[in-house]
Formats: sequence, structure tokens, C-alpha cells
Amino acid sequence: MATTLFDIAAERLEASTDLDRLAVRGTLRLALKEAGLDPQNLNVAQLRAVFEKLMPRELEARGVAKPAAICSAVMNDVMSAARTADLEVSSSPDEIFKRLGGS
Amino acid sequence: MEEYAYLTSILASIFYLATSARLLRLHRRTRERPECLLGLYFACSGLYYLAYNVPSLLGFDGWPPSIGLAVEWVYNLGVLPYLLFIRLVFRPNDVWAVGLVAFASGCLLVAGVALTAGGHVDYSLDNPWFLTQWLGYTIPCAWIGCEAVLDWRSSGKRARLGLVQPLVVNRYLLLALFGASQFLACLSDLLFAHDISNSEAVSLVTNVLLGGTEAASVVLLWLAFFPPDFYAGWIARRAHSPVAAE
Repeated sequence: MATTLFDIAAERLEASTDLDRLAVRGTLRLALKEAGLDPQNLNVAQLRAVFEKLMPRELEARGVAKPAAICSAVMNDVMSAARTADLEVSSSPDEIFKRLGGS
Repeated sequence: MEEYAYLTSILASIFYLATSARLLRLHRRTRERPECLLGLYFACSGLYYLAYNVPSLLGFDGWPPSIGLAVEWVYNLGVLPYLLFIRLVFRPNDVWAVGLVAFASGCLLVAGVALTAGGHVDYSLDNPWFLTQWLGYTIPCAWIGCEAVLDWRSSGKRARLGLVQPLVVNRYLLLALFGASQFLACLSDLLFAHDISNSEAVSLVTNVLLGGTEAASVVLLWLAFFPPDFYAGWIARRAHSPVAAE
């Protein structure tokens, strides 16, 4: 059962492409690493940036057709699933340090 | 030279109290725990350094043992919210971080009880309780430095995606340097204990280290928590320059 945004995104991506579970999760992890993000502490804005700016290229490199459209559809799914599941993501260090410095 | 080190510590303590006031005021508005925990730590640190250095600067022999012990307790208890802050912000889901917080807290509490039972504060390398206390307050200094370095590196990548502001990326670097400076200050505590174990005089090297690390900590905290406009502008320009963008 999906419990984090990462799990939900991987599940939806697997359903939308021919890639298997391992390939999907590996691809997503690589993109998150490139973005400097931790799969266990993702928020929707961070995941959206990854799906808009990095995942289309990663999927294209793995032979997935129309990667941008797939990413957009998956992200819409993830956002509604995250709202339904009421996923509580604790504040990221970035948000905390932005607040602490008054910027 | 010794007076310079004491004066620097007192200035640092006033700055820590000001930082604490700012963070606790922020907590009143946001009701979030990180600012409260860090504010409590800086409040206790500020009070400790102030109480610890005032007698030396004013030239009296120091506080009576009971007040000296109370001052040590203020610091020991003040490190606990610092440990909780680091875990909450950087390692909220890691079990090992809970263990590290428990270990360091245990060191501080056990050392505090042992020092209280002994009736006086004894900064000596032969005193195992001083070393236990030292370990308890050195762990968060090293820990926050390491965590801030890791986040500084990853936040650079996030900044390229527009997920974090350049000033926040720089704040991680400043915090890493603050952790390093505080760790160096902890090491100079060992030199201090060594000096006063062997003679009454504190060596020049120890004084320079104590004063220098406190001065550096103040500058780093100022830039991190009270960034002046010229500094924020410089960071923003640097982040958008062609070289930085590559």
C-alpha cells in the first residue's frame, strides 16, 4: 500500500508506462537525487518540479513515448491522491531555515 | 589577551540572547517547534557565557559553588533543545538520531548530577564527569555542522530547480561553519582544562582559540539570522551570475 508521495508517484508512473516497478522506482530515485531531494521527505511542490523539469528527460532516455504528457498526467493523479490521503509532510529543512532567517 | 577572550565571550553571549529573543518571538507568531527549540538553546547559552565570564572580567574569584553548579545546569539543560532541534529538522525519521539525542542528553544529565553531587565544578582532564559533560555538548556542535554541510550540497541542486532561495542555501553553509567554529571552541575547552589543571594560567593559544571561535560564531550567526541587505544582495547577484549558473 502506498504511504508516501514517492510511493504514490511510483505507483501511478508504473501504471502509465511499460516500465516495471523496479525501473520506475529507480528512475524516480535518480531524478530525486539529481534534484537533491530525499524520497522519504518530499512535498508536492518538490515532486512537481521534478516531474516538470527532470522526469520527462529520464523517461525519454528509457524509451517512453510522450514523456511530458505522462509526467503531467501522473502529477495530476498524485496531487489528487495526496489530497485524498491527507499526507502530512513535516516541514522541510529548507522551509524551516527560510523562516528562521526571516526571508 | 585573557581579557580579550572574556570580552569576546560576553559580546557573544549578548548576541546569543538577542538571537534567542528573535527566534522566540518568531515562535510566538508561528507556533512551530524548531524556532522554539533553537531559541531556548541560545537563551541558555547566552546566560551561561554571561554568568561564566562576568566574574573573570570583573576580577573577582568567581561564583560560590552553588551558583557555579546552577550555571552549569543552565547550559546542560539548554543543550537538550539543541539536540532535539537537530533531530527534528534534519533527521525526523531516523531511529539512530533518537539514539544519538538520548546518548548526548544522558551524558549531560549524568555529568550534571555527578558534578552536583561533588559539590563544585571541576574543569580537569582527570575528572571523568567533566569529560562526560564535554562529550554531551560537543556532539551537537559536530552533528549540526555535518548535517548542514550535507544539506548545503543538496540544496545547491534544489536551487537549480528553483525550489530553494540562494540565501537559504548560503544559510546552510553559514550553519556548517558555525558548527565547525563551535566544535573548535569545544576542543579549546579541553585545552583550557589542560591549562588550568597544570597551572593557574590560561595559555595564549587557548585564549586566541576561545576568543576567535566565539567572534567567528557571532559573525556567522549574524549573517545567517540577521542577514543585512548588502549581504543578501551579494548572495542573490552571485547566484544569478553566469559563472554560478553553470
